[in-house]
Amino acid sequence: MWRAEIDGRRLRFHLTGINNQNFLMRDEQTGSWWQQVTGEAVFGPLKGRRLELVFHDEIPFGLWRREHPHGRVLRPQEGVPWREFSKDWEADTAKLPVVTPARAGDPLPPRELIVGVHLQGAAKAYPLAALQRQSPVADSVGGIPIALVVGEDGRSVRAFERRLDGRELDLFAKPGPPPLRLLDAETGSEWSFAGEAVSGPLAGKKLPRVYTLKDYWFDWQAYHPGTAVYTLGAR
Amino acid sequence: MSEVPSHSHPLRRRAAGGTLFLLVVAALAMVALPVWLIRPFAPQTPAGLATAYALRRGAILGTLLLLAAGLGITIALWRGSRWWSRTALVVGLLVLGAATWGARWIQTMFEGMFVPLAKTASAPADQARWVEEGDTVLAVDLNGDAAAYPVRQVAYHHIANDVVGSVPVAVTY
Repeated sequence: MWRAEIDGRRLRFHLTGINNQNFLMRDEQTGSWWQQVTGEAVFGPLKGRRLELVFHDEIPFGLWRREHPHGRVLRPQEGVPWREFSKDWEADTAKLPVVTPARAGDPLPPRELIVGVHLQGAAKAYPLAALQRQSPVADSVGGIPIALVVGEDGRSVRAFERRLDGRELDLFAKPGPPPLRLLDAETGSEWSFAGEAVSGPLAGKKLPRVYTLKDYWFDWQAYHPGTAVYTLGAR
Repeated sequence: MSEVPSHSHPLRRRAAGGTLFLLVVAALAMVALPVWLIRPFAPQTPAGLATAYALRRGAILGTLLLLAAGLGITIALWRGSRWWSRTALVVGLLVLGAATWGARWIQTMFEGMFVPLAKTASAPADQARWVEEGDTVLAVDLNGDAAAYPVRQVAYHHIANDVVGSVPVAVTY
């Protein structure tokens, strides 16, 4: 999700083309072409400019509504078959061919779903399947200690900086019925999936969120050529 | 130069006819090349993308200029042409005319392949009956304005232009 603004000028985007299976957007105001996944203008008057990332979540509707009971939801457009079109879109998309050649020694299949983290110039891809087996995953990217947590639904992922007032925290899943709770080894405080300490000595504290992008491996590595890949059990 | 009826210069007439043919080929390439270079499910190269961008930006004016040049040639050759030559001239002009239309069409071609979201409107969370509990949403919370965009809707339109907490955003999937 991008802030649709450059130098205080609002931009409206339209789908305009495709570049190796990631789409290109055209802004109505200058006609520049933008790469969807990087937010960078690749051609036109604004070439080289970058859109600012807007922090967003990719989570199930039920969880979002519990966290934001007074939020608002995009209304579907009348008279268009979005429901039929997108019925099995995820499974269908996973079956589409990949046109960029696989590289020798590629650690993952092209359509492997990964969660990408980009911090301080360092990029790392976490295979979703590995996170699902191991959540929460403690790691460090670009020198910043982070934790990746898979939600109760088993699909949504949030990442946090696991450092509070200069102290690193080791987070563990607390066994038990939902809602999901984590415990930190340092104080024994309980943390929610929102990254908030709900009880214990750190109650009320919040862990800073870390931006993640759910993407296919082929797409992520195309835009993060030096990316590291997390392997199960490795730190 | 003295006034000379054009039909007395068969070589020059042939050259003019050949030029018209090249104009037609150029106009078709201007429209077809960008479409071909950024077709889905094909690999794209940086050079191919740059060509597609330049041709598409230039195609509207470019095809109009080619049409004007073609019209000039047709007028110059019309007198003294036999019926088959005139037919060829008219066909050439028709193709050039179609290319000027095509140049406009390819500007928004991708929006024709997918349905752009005409306008973004929203409903309170507790009234969103069309979304199920487990459906994934893209969610954003800016300046106290929390908005959710069901992935199935965004995946259909690909882009939603909206304003959240007075911040203009582009929601993409």
